[in-house]
Amino acid sequence: MPKRKVAALEKVEADLVNLQYKIRRDPKSYAQEFYDQWLAYDAQRQIFVSSPATASSDDVKKFHDLVDLVAHVADLYPDLTASYPDHLKELLNRHHATLDKELREKIVGSLTLLRRKDVIDSTSLLTTLFPILISTPSKTLRSLLYTKIISDLRESNSKSTNHRLNRTIQTVLHNLVTSDRTSTKGMWATRITRELWRRQIWTDAKPCDVMKEACLSDNEKVVVGGVRFFLGGDKAREEMEDDSSDDEVDMKKLKHQSGINKKTKKRQKALGKAVEKVKKQERKKNAPHPLNFSALHLIHDPQGFAEKLFQKHLQNTKNRFSLENKLQILQLVTRLVGLHKLTIISLYSWFARYLTPKQPSVTSFLASLAQGTHNLVPPDAIEPLIVKIANEFVSEAAASEVAAAGINAIREVAIRQPLCMNETLLQDLVLYQRSKDKGVVMAAKGLQSLYREVYPELLQKKYRGKEATMGLKSGETKQWKFGEEEVGGIEGIELLEKYKEEQKEKKMAERVGEDGEPKDDDEEDDGFHSDEWEIGSSDSDDSSTGWINVSDSEDDEPAPKRTKTDPEAPELVDEDKENAEAEANRISKLATTTILTPADLLKLQELRREANIDKAMGNTSKRKKELIARHIDEGVTADDIELPAQLGKKSTKEERVALAKDGKPGREEHKSTQAIRKSKKEAEGKSTTNKEKSRKKNFLMTIGKARAKNKRSLVDTKKALKAHIARSKSGGRRANGT
Amino acid sequence: MGSSNKKKKEKKKDFQKAKLKVGKAKAKAANFTDTSFKSKFITVNQQAISAEGVDAAEQFKQNLSLAITAKSDNQRRDALAFLTNQISATPPNNPVGTSAILTKLLPLISDTSATVRTRLLALFRALPPSEVQPHVEKILMYARAGMTHMSNIIRTDALNVMEWLLEVAGDEVVSCPGGWLKTLNSFSSMLGWNPSVGSALSSQGWTSASKTTLGAGSKKGPEAQCRQIQVLTQFLAVGFKPETSEPYNPRAYWDNIYRLPGTPNPFAHLNLFGTPRDEDSEMYPDRPSRQRVFDAKWKGAIAAGMDGARKEGGTVGRAAAGLSKVLDLGK
Repeated sequence: MPKRKVAALEKVEADLVNLQYKIRRDPKSYAQEFYDQWLAYDAQRQIFVSSPATASSDDVKKFHDLVDLVAHVADLYPDLTASYPDHLKELLNRHHATLDKELREKIVGSLTLLRRKDVIDSTSLLTTLFPILISTPSKTLRSLLYTKIISDLRESNSKSTNHRLNRTIQTVLHNLVTSDRTSTKGMWATRITRELWRRQIWTDAKPCDVMKEACLSDNEKVVVGGVRFFLGGDKAREEMEDDSSDDEVDMKKLKHQSGINKKTKKRQKALGKAVEKVKKQERKKNAPHPLNFSALHLIHDPQGFAEKLFQKHLQNTKNRFSLENKLQILQLVTRLVGLHKLTIISLYSWFARYLTPKQPSVTSFLASLAQGTHNLVPPDAIEPLIVKIANEFVSEAAASEVAAAGINAIREVAIRQPLCMNETLLQDLVLYQRSKDKGVVMAAKGLQSLYREVYPELLQKKYRGKEATMGLKSGETKQWKFGEEEVGGIEGIELLEKYKEEQKEKKMAERVGEDGEPKDDDEEDDGFHSDEWEIGSSDSDDSSTGWINVSDSEDDEPAPKRTKTDPEAPELVDEDKENAEAEANRISKLATTTILTPADLLKLQELRREANIDKAMGNTSKRKKELIARHIDEGVTADDIELPAQLGKKSTKEERVALAKDGKPGREEHKSTQAIRKSKKEAEGKSTTNKEKSRKKNFLMTIGKARAKNKRSLVDTKKALKAHIARSKSGGRRANGT
Repeated sequence: MGSSNKKKKEKKKDFQKAKLKVGKAKAKAANFTDTSFKSKFITVNQQAISAEGVDAAEQFKQNLSLAITAKSDNQRRDALAFLTNQISATPPNNPVGTSAILTKLLPLISDTSATVRTRLLALFRALPPSEVQPHVEKILMYARAGMTHMSNIIRTDALNVMEWLLEVAGDEVVSCPGGWLKTLNSFSSMLGWNPSVGSALSSQGWTSASKTTLGAGSKKGPEAQCRQIQVLTQFLAVGFKPETSEPYNPRAYWDNIYRLPGTPNPFAHLNLFGTPRDEDSEMYPDRPSRQRVFDAKWKGAIAAGMDGARKEGGTVGRAAAGLSKVLDLGK
């Protein structure tokens, strides 16, 4: 008797996948079947819960499959499966440590699936997953949960920012960091916050607060996580943005391909997706750039934070953090000090211990010192440090790199606070430009040129240079006192004012030419020129005079001179009145007397750009300011300090070889350049040329033609040759040239 | 021509002497075995199955583990047969105890092989009833899982297990936590007499979903249904059995206070340590409570289903008549 064939549905193996497919096609008709499976799930769950640790692999497998089925169709039977999410949560909470690996992953996956189907909300999902993420000993589960949490937060913030959810999670993270400061659990708070910051999902002050608390933790890992965030989080964010804009789709190519390739649904769909992506990118490009503040700017109470950080992790002698981590903390503290112009006096005396050439990674310390200096730091606090650097690093006995680094460090500090230097020391240091080492020479010259600009009196006369001497004589070079701030304004406003005056004169001249008599400007200008408020609509070259003059008689007076109102600075007043007056006159009144339109601002930008170009062409008087601006944005690194020492160094052979190899094709084996190019072309999926094809052609296929060619008559040969020449002249068979 | 040349060369190669060269290692022999690696453990693919020289207890345990882990159906079946023999021998040889056997073998209720399942039932029947009674709750879980299995045959076999359980420990079955309502759920889903699905679906069309259950699909439909109704009748009969009042025991009061209880988990109804139970998994220890909950939840559905079955006549009708008798008893 032949063996009986088993029909597909009769198979003993439960075909849950098939059932799931049917249920999703027609949930009403298969309600009964689902109910059966729900009961089966319930029974298996009970078996499992009664002894989760000793459950047989068979039971686990069955339960796994049923969990999967129910999760996929739970949204179709909300009444029946109301308790399902709670079951899963309870299972995960109670038994996550002992559960079978696959089953555990399935449960996590099912919960996220339920979230996607909107059966449960994000908050309940995240509050379930998060405690497990922190407590579980399993690495795989942690990484799974981490990705799920991040992706869920991304999802729920994708359409519009879900403030409520974000607030909840941020509070949870904040509590996690602050509740137990010694545990490593805060790591997860830092990791999650950092990731979401990088993806620009969280951009406000609350995550910064979480990180701030992380920095003040007792656990080294958590602290480093927080510190790294402040030092590098914004850069990571920018890089991420650049990356996302990188993967552009070549629309032209895709369209061309879709015209040639076989038309399938899959390809059509891919093309549609690509089109959508391109459109999205376009929209993104046109959308206004989100104004995201850097994390360092969003810190609440930076003074208190920097002080605490310094006292807790650096000043505290019991602290046992590694040097590398301490340096990172120091970098953050000094960064904050420099950026927010904070005052932590004890910081500078603390530095003294570390400023010796034997100290490991001393250049980082020097860089941090420079970073932590600003014009409001009392010179008395820094001067001993400068002296110490000079004594320890800069001497004839010291190695040239050390001396160069020392002088450069002094220069970096002096850029920010020029008053920290005394005359003898500076003169001594400047003399190092006679050294034999190029690095030392460059560093010393740098210091000299800096002081030529900021404080030429300190230099010996012969080192002052022409401009500084002339400036001193004419009184143009102004000596700033401690605590004095440059009177600020809008950069380039004087350019705009000048430009406007020119325009006005031009117009007057025109009018005189037309009407014979000049008209009163004010009457005409009193009307509201609405077109000026739209940047594109007006030609900014000719109609900029149309400005409502909001000034009345009081405003027309020159702005009060600040230098005179300050009675506690008698020296300044005495110094030279003329100078102060000239300064006051220089500050443009335009911004205080009128309202600038967008058109004006645009023009201002243009003028500023032009001025910058002028500067780049040769006029380098503002170099110092640019330097400072750069440093405030980016901070000083050890590389900046070490840079002059690298000058004049001969590179090693390896470096030269690496430099020569840079940008050339990789050559693992001995191969000709041609062969490398060919293989690269093949790897890119490009086609071969006709020549290459003919070269590869099977010999037996060509032999017949070759024989026939030999047998041709002379006339035929001549014809063929002539035709060949004519063809090559006209650009080949396809006449490409014509 | 070419091939013969090739063959000649190959032949020649066999008899060529390997040349030794200065500074070069000797060529490896053709049968060289690499022994440079170290291994932490070795997996043996075949296992010795000879039973000689193994004592009885050891052999029993070996067979017990074989009954679950063996990949081949025949091996599982044979192991189960061996275990049954050992248990039913006089005196019974059971070195691990009934509890261990049950925990190990219960997953086999939904085994894929039919012979294994029948053997398993035979083994269960060989177990002493008094030792089965404490484990009723656990057995019932697996029986319910079997009764709701997708495969028809497994469900029918699970009914056999249910029947055995009712014979051996009927009172425990109906009174253990979840034993009454959850089992009724399983029965109703088998028979398709289901009040809760309709409400869950809240279908509002003028047609209702077809009443096909998984049981009705096969050729053996009526037989299977008849069997289901029979076991359900049995189950209800046990549940509605009039309680006999125990004769007065003057020491019962003091025993209750000072003696150790004779039954496992005597305070189960208080559910001191477990998770809170819902209505389905609650225990209904006495007849009135069972009756009450049955009337509230199942009476309508079962009566309706029963009427339908009665009208079909034949074996199904007869079974339904038996069921109605039991229901009358419950009133």
